[in-house]
Amino acid sequence: MRAAVLLLLGLLTPVAARAGDPASPDPVRRGEYVFDAAGCLGCHTNEKGGGAPLAGGRPLKTPFGTFYSPNITPDPVHGIGRWTDADFARALRSGHGREGEPLFPAFPYTSYTRMSDRDVADLKAYLSSRPASPAANRPHDLSAPFGWRFLLPVWQTLYLEEGPLKDDPARPAEWNRGRYLVEALGHCGECHSPRGWMGGVDSARALAGNPQGPEGDKVPNLRPGPKGLADWSQGDVEAALEMGMLPDGDFVGGSMAEVVRNSTSKLTPADRRAIAVYLKSLPSVP
Amino acid sequence: MIHRTLHAVFAVAVSAGLFLAFAPAAPAATPEELVKARQQHMKKFGGGMQTIGKFLKGEGGTVEDVQKAAAQIDEAAKGDFTALFPPGTAAPVAESAAKPELWQNLPKAQQQWVDVKPAADKLVTAAMTGEKAQIAQAQQAAGKACAACHEDFRIKKN
Repeated sequence: MRAAVLLLLGLLTPVAARAGDPASPDPVRRGEYVFDAAGCLGCHTNEKGGGAPLAGGRPLKTPFGTFYSPNITPDPVHGIGRWTDADFARALRSGHGREGEPLFPAFPYTSYTRMSDRDVADLKAYLSSRPASPAANRPHDLSAPFGWRFLLPVWQTLYLEEGPLKDDPARPAEWNRGRYLVEALGHCGECHSPRGWMGGVDSARALAGNPQGPEGDKVPNLRPGPKGLADWSQGDVEAALEMGMLPDGDFVGGSMAEVVRNSTSKLTPADRRAIAVYLKSLPSVP
Repeated sequence: MIHRTLHAVFAVAVSAGLFLAFAPAAPAATPEELVKARQQHMKKFGGGMQTIGKFLKGEGGTVEDVQKAAAQIDEAAKGDFTALFPPGTAAPVAESAAKPELWQNLPKAQQQWVDVKPAADKLVTAAMTGEKAQIAQAQQAAGKACAACHEDFRIKKN
């Protein structure tokens, strides 16, 4: 009898929607959408090593050495459980840790700095709602001089332009949303742009592809020129973001497959359209 | 006369059968040929997916085209994994895009291949309904099945 009542209660209780919702008044649900759009899960989870979600430890091989992502679960010792909202905002906005130490730009704060205050706050609310993991952080394995943290303030002066990103009033809302998704949350330019010898993005060629991307991959040009998305329709861009399908019917592999799985497939169709509108509006770069 | 002709036909048929049965085996395919065959096989998926994608994007094609494309994908999904991924065909052999890790994780890769078939079956069923929403959902699921292996075991193309 009791089991039957419980079963009935279970049937009557509305099933909570699992996915994040950009229109939700609940900061946690809204924050989950920001989390997906910002693609936090991939880098902060050592999926191949069997690590807990967001417990860090994923190796990121770069030309500067191997970075190991930190634990961003609410664990008070190894995670960010003791971080205040202001600490968290400072990390994203100005690239500094809780003790004020400058952070390596493998954490893409040069993009996240452009996030709105509300998105930063909601992202923190969502992360705080996740299960804590006591996994200890692993030190990075970098070659000199890239591992010298004391040089980072110089790097930040050269390459960090603090946000948030302001809307361009001369452009439609959809374009502005697309720019925000590409330049702030999606941090697309972090992989799709070439970098100089110091690791700063070559802003003149932003999103024009990177012959030496993460994990040694060549990363394609997203500008509308002949070497980029010239032959792509707007629908092609949306389909690539939704399920990873390329115009020839092939499906993306490698790190972009992961981005589609964890991030762009979870966006609303309107947001994917906005991204396509923005990318198609960029000047082409050969 | 008819009797003799039948005899002759029979004799030819028997000798042809014997010849086929005892003919020397075809020379083993080179790694280049095997990679090429695999790439051609994968293009059957891509071609089908492209047709369905175009229909869903409103860029052309009919429901019949989608049904044919789904059948083509379903047929390709029947391919034999071991024959498609023989040892010695990892990159960089013959511009192969398959990472050597595939052969170090054969059970995983094989399971990913096996998972394509039920997804392709569902795509065929969805195509029969002609409903865009159902086709889109089934295509997305089939795409996920393709992408699972591409994510782990395929070298970036660009």
